[in-house]
Amino acid sequence: MACGVLQCVVRSLAVAALVLASTSFAEAGVLFSTLDESINVAVEIQGQNVTEGPVNRVAKVGDDRLVVSWNLNSSLMGLGVDKNYVSLKLRLCFAPISQLERGWRKTNDDLHRDKTCTIVIANQKYTTDGNSTVWRIPKNVPGATYFVRAYATDERGQQLAYGQSTDQLKTSNLITIIPISGRHVTIDIASGVFSVFSIASLIAFLASEFAQTSNR
Amino acid sequence: MAANANWQDGNTKGEPGSSLHGVTGREPVFQMTMETVGEKEATDLKGRKFALPVDSEHKAKTVRLYSVAAPHMRTFHLSWIAFMICFFSTFAAPPLMPVIRDNLGLTKVDIGNAGIASVAGAVVSRLLMGTICDLVGPRYGCAILMMITAPAIFCMPLVSTPVGFILVRFFIGFCLATFVSCQFWMSSMFNSKIVGIANGTAAGWGNMGGGIVQLVMPLVFDIIRRDIGSEKFTAWRIAFFVPGVLQVMMGLLVLTLGQDLPDGNYAELKREGEKVNDSFQKVFLYAVTNYRTYIFALTYGYCFGVELTVDNIIAEYFYDRFDLNLQTAGIIASTFGLMNLFSRPLGGVLSDVVAARWGMRGRLWNLWIIQTVGGVLCIVLGLTGQLGPAIAVMLIFSFFVQAACGATFGVIPFISRRSLGIISGATGAGGNIGAVTTQGIFFMSSKYTTEDGIMLMGIMIVACTLPVIFVHFPQWGSMFCPPSKATEEDYYISEWSKEEQSNGLHHASMKFAENSKSERGRQSPPRSKEETVGVDRL
Repeated sequence: MACGVLQCVVRSLAVAALVLASTSFAEAGVLFSTLDESINVAVEIQGQNVTEGPVNRVAKVGDDRLVVSWNLNSSLMGLGVDKNYVSLKLRLCFAPISQLERGWRKTNDDLHRDKTCTIVIANQKYTTDGNSTVWRIPKNVPGATYFVRAYATDERGQQLAYGQSTDQLKTSNLITIIPISGRHVTIDIASGVFSVFSIASLIAFLASEFAQTSNR
Repeated sequence: MAANANWQDGNTKGEPGSSLHGVTGREPVFQMTMETVGEKEATDLKGRKFALPVDSEHKAKTVRLYSVAAPHMRTFHLSWIAFMICFFSTFAAPPLMPVIRDNLGLTKVDIGNAGIASVAGAVVSRLLMGTICDLVGPRYGCAILMMITAPAIFCMPLVSTPVGFILVRFFIGFCLATFVSCQFWMSSMFNSKIVGIANGTAAGWGNMGGGIVQLVMPLVFDIIRRDIGSEKFTAWRIAFFVPGVLQVMMGLLVLTLGQDLPDGNYAELKREGEKVNDSFQKVFLYAVTNYRTYIFALTYGYCFGVELTVDNIIAEYFYDRFDLNLQTAGIIASTFGLMNLFSRPLGGVLSDVVAARWGMRGRLWNLWIIQTVGGVLCIVLGLTGQLGPAIAVMLIFSFFVQAACGATFGVIPFISRRSLGIISGATGAGGNIGAVTTQGIFFMSSKYTTEDGIMLMGIMIVACTLPVIFVHFPQWGSMFCPPSKATEEDYYISEWSKEEQSNGLHHASMKFAENSKSERGRQSPPRSKEETVGVDRL
């Protein structure tokens, strides 16, 4: 019996190895360092005054809206730099302080592996005059410090240029977003009820068994 | 005639074992005459027939997986399912980690600490569980633990800080001590010849919970998000009610349907004089003064401990090193745990098969070889850079590391009869200490890359398996040394003082010693005249 199972195991391992070896993993993508910063991006929290200085602006998930406006850098107008730009992808990106000790948000020059800008704000058509969008911050955005980046892409989705609302070092003009906790009163109550039930039913059971054995 | 009247009307009193046929090691003559009654008619103290063939201790001599007959097979299924659900609860967070870490703002260090916390709690609880099983029985031990840790699971939906997360995972992790009650229960219900396969299968299928959860929790999370429409950060909290409710339900089932020993529950047996209350101090003393306890606690840390560590890190490893997406990495991670379906039971089977021919020496060699090969494969896994081969190596590695766990528990029941509970607990605790140690040394900081950590862990496995060479049983020998003239009775009676023996407290151990003669293997000649009569009929 042991031999039969071993044979079966070896065969399935071989099949698995073949199947999985043919799994395609991520292909290399465009390198960020090759992109031009030809887009200007500005972010405002709707209804709030712009704060200058070291303190980040604060926005609340679900309540606040971000107004993101972008346009082509004025010095590059009319030079044909943007002739291949088809669409513009707006992304919410983690600032370095929120990437600290969190390898799943790591910046990688290969844009296929880059995890800095995973939250989608909007995908817009590229126009030479620029555009803006109002984005209500969804409830699944984690609490962290962010900036906004725009990628100009061609018709295949390959990035050609970018722009961001902060400087090269990604330390200025950042936005801190306050998340939801995810907790609800109903969940808290249910937790309490189930916990009490667990302990109470245990005690009841033990008590009845004890009574049974001492009665006999 | 008088003997018949005693066990049939159930009012057995006096010396344990004197009224049950064919059990006392001191009366071989009775063994021969009682033989004609036939084992198939063995009944428990109340005169109920057993569904399976049993030996002189009323332990089952076969395992029938498709049966739920009380008490043996019902215990088997209750035990492994309870343990599986505890594994499920303990490892319910890792598959949802991408959501949890965003909700709570966790860093890598927080996640690492939570992983260590989840297995560290069980170090203490496994030690305690051994004692609890010895004193009040595995049924109470298992059920009480499950129902006391269930509130910790229900606290997970309330967590909002990293510290809270670490604390809750710590308290949930206590329930991994059901492993000890599971193994103890198996060793009480199944004969020594098949205890390896019984222990291995129950524990292996229980460990599968760590694999099943990687598939189930993301599924439940998806259903809650899609069909109930909850936000991500709420949906994972609701998902945690699933392990909680399962655990409470299982605890109640164990209480209502479970039974400590083939003859009944501890409380009933104590009342009828069949189960004697043992002294905790003595039980503890004989466990800590037996050097084999420490050796197996160490080696178990490098099969089971490694298994727990890999459960915690393997998804991330494949995700990072081979650039897979989270779903694919999760599926691969689950296969590691799911191999337990057959690998751990096979380890127990191999132990039993080898013991039939070579006895205990065979079991020790079997364990050493399997665990060392597992260590070598771990080194190879760290060095493998291609995806397909890495998965293949991981699967073979998982087989050997889990089979080593099964093989270990093929040996544990023989170390001591009196202190079986504590020793099982100590071994289990050693497993968790191994998990804490390996995670702490190799996978917490950025000193080693994950692949280097895996390779170094493999080297440590090989090194820490060497102590098996030093385990010696006077009556059976060790890996390199033959047995002395000592008998099984000598070994097991040494746990009882002269005073306790004169009170007849050692009779259960003597029954066990008789049954354990199978550990001599096939070729050894009988050592005394008595044993030429029909021992091997078992």
